[in-house]
Amino acid sequence: MKVTGLQVFWMILIMEVGMTLVMTLTPGVQAAKQDLWIAILVAGLITLLITFLVTNVTLLYPGQNLIELSQTILGKWLGKAVIVIYLVQWYTIIPIVLRQFADVINIMIMPETPKWAIMLIMILLFSYAAYSNGIVTISRCSEILGPIIILMVILVLLSSVNNIRLTNLLPVYADSGALNIIRGSLPSASYLGHSVEYLMLAAFLYQPRKGTPYAYWATIGSILVVTVALAMAIATIGINLTPTLWYPFFEMTRKISLFGFVENLDPLTIVTWVASVFIKLAVYMFITAYGTAQFLGIRKWRPLVIILAPIMLWFALIPRNVTEATTNYLMNYWVPFVLPVNMIGLPLLLLIVGKLRLRAQA
Amino acid sequence: MKRSQSFIRWFFLLIPCLALSGCWDRRELDEIAIVMGSGVDLTDDGQIELSLQIALPMGIQGNMQMAGKKKPVMLVSSKGTVSQDQIGQIQQQLSRRIFFGHRAVFIIGENFARHGVDQTLDTMLRFPDSRYNCFILTSKGATAKEVLSSPYPLEVIPSIGMKNMQVGKYTFAERIDKFLDSFAAKGFMPATGAIRLIKNGQESSFVIDGEAVYRENKLVGYLSGTHSKAFKLMRDQGSGMKIPVRIEPAGKLSTGMITADLLTTRREVRTFVSQGPPKIEVEFRAKGRIIANDTTLDLSKPANLSRAEQMLSNELQKMISGLIEQTQKEFQSDVLGFGDILHIQHPYAWKKLQTEWLDTYPEVPVKVLASVILERIGRTQKPGHLPK
Repeated sequence: MKVTGLQVFWMILIMEVGMTLVMTLTPGVQAAKQDLWIAILVAGLITLLITFLVTNVTLLYPGQNLIELSQTILGKWLGKAVIVIYLVQWYTIIPIVLRQFADVINIMIMPETPKWAIMLIMILLFSYAAYSNGIVTISRCSEILGPIIILMVILVLLSSVNNIRLTNLLPVYADSGALNIIRGSLPSASYLGHSVEYLMLAAFLYQPRKGTPYAYWATIGSILVVTVALAMAIATIGINLTPTLWYPFFEMTRKISLFGFVENLDPLTIVTWVASVFIKLAVYMFITAYGTAQFLGIRKWRPLVIILAPIMLWFALIPRNVTEATTNYLMNYWVPFVLPVNMIGLPLLLLIVGKLRLRAQA
Repeated sequence: MKRSQSFIRWFFLLIPCLALSGCWDRRELDEIAIVMGSGVDLTDDGQIELSLQIALPMGIQGNMQMAGKKKPVMLVSSKGTVSQDQIGQIQQQLSRRIFFGHRAVFIIGENFARHGVDQTLDTMLRFPDSRYNCFILTSKGATAKEVLSSPYPLEVIPSIGMKNMQVGKYTFAERIDKFLDSFAAKGFMPATGAIRLIKNGQESSFVIDGEAVYRENKLVGYLSGTHSKAFKLMRDQGSGMKIPVRIEPAGKLSTGMITADLLTTRREVRTFVSQGPPKIEVEFRAKGRIIANDTTLDLSKPANLSRAEQMLSNELQKMISGLIEQTQKEFQSDVLGFGDILHIQHPYAWKKLQTEWLDTYPEVPVKVLASVILERIGRTQKPGHLPK
């Protein structure tokens, strides 16, 4: 199973853009108000730091993925402890993303379809992608879907140009202040921080040493797309309504009205967004199955996909309502724990210990 | 091994096909009742009355020949206390499911508006099939139900007539999202177009010729006449507006009036904060052309043209300051959004001002400047009919 650098670029870009656009705008705006675009640039700096750490860690032992890497660097037991922390992240993010996906579909277009039906279709689809040929299938899919998704975002932005009122972005800074901007940047940073999955993906590259620029470009690309898109969403909807809507980005596409007959484009956007959710879930499904197999010393990872799929569906039905799935998970686990520990702390630890170890060997 | 793997793949792919075919939210065209317009009223006994104008496909199909025989729309309504609950009650009268996706107008009854628009607003935003491209109107001198049941000869469906009036630039138009936004804003009070019933000979119809002004969530009054015109100018909906003005005393052959057609308008608001209440300066600039000249003057002469420009500027200045005075003294409502501009220009001072802006606004001194440039004067120089 090998992938090219370009495929890794698209995978990381899709994982970062899709969910960030839809999920982080509301919590971000609630803190940073109309200065969210500054907050996202701050989040971008944090994300670039994460990418820097992650790419340098993979360069220490090219060809090893996170599971092998952490045991090589930190020794067997400490390494396994680190892996457990990441496994918790992977095992919880799949059900949550799945649930968030079902919530979007329920809230925006299909209020009466039961959520298990929506989830079932999605889980079978991405499990198929992960099962059939692992990372190769997924990366080829993302190579095709990635440009379509970005094209959709650009199209939505272009056709919203006549709806924006830039005065909605004023006054700059006065209403929020530095502290609120940083608070508003955290949700976006935690979603943009998916470059941390490069730790797992890098080992599958044909040339693991040359993957670094692709990871950087994916990060920079998604920061740009997200900044422009979210600033436009605020400029379109206005600062009074944005914090009260669940998915302001979709509401923006709802307002598109061109020449009096191109209207109600939101189902189109939601469908393309579903493609990005599919890639994200498939990547996570694959690395979870593959990582678990390696962690437990199981030779075949494929059967794990079949075992994991129903478990994930069951987990996804646990959150009682939309707030628990979207807000609570983000604000109580993802932002305060995953962002500082999984995305910054542990890669930093691996990098420092790994460097010292290599120096000691040399 | 290989066989079991391919079996599992097929399983993954075939099950979604089963699930995709059964769609819970499927709505065929002949199963939905398409709401074209809706309205809400407060009845005399304090109940809320919701009315829906529903398109009847049978009435539309037959085109013009059939139109006389079958009505193209039906009106259903229900009284109660909670608006969302009444949609359920109306549903009980209907064999098809209510569908709001094509709603063109939402009319707030005058009585309801005066008592405070609140609970219906949430319904507009929370429903998945509520759309933003729906216009908000407030009825004047009639209930929303009466307006919705009024026929309109020019269009098959009356609500479409209202919508097209709003899309055209001759009425003040406010869409749902902007209206809700101004409810949430502190420096910007809501306003909608005002719709009332008229009689054209025997036939009754409706007209949108004013604006309803709200203070917080309550209707406080209507703008009409020149103030309504000035309001559209100040809300950037003034292009194409015709402004008549007298530039010389009426003579034997002429009334002394010219009429200008405004092509582009631009308003600039400057705010000043120091001790006491803030000061506001409005500068209004317009470019226009003369479309009627009922005077003895030859407007191709620069002196005459600049006289016309001067008179027009004075007229606009009077219109706008009259409007501002009415909003300050009579309505005490900042419908022109000066508070928002103050917020942008003086964000730190606004933090203190915003809590009592409603009470400060009537006291704020506003200075109005207006200037008009006439770019063209039409096909004739001197009025052609005057004796040489």
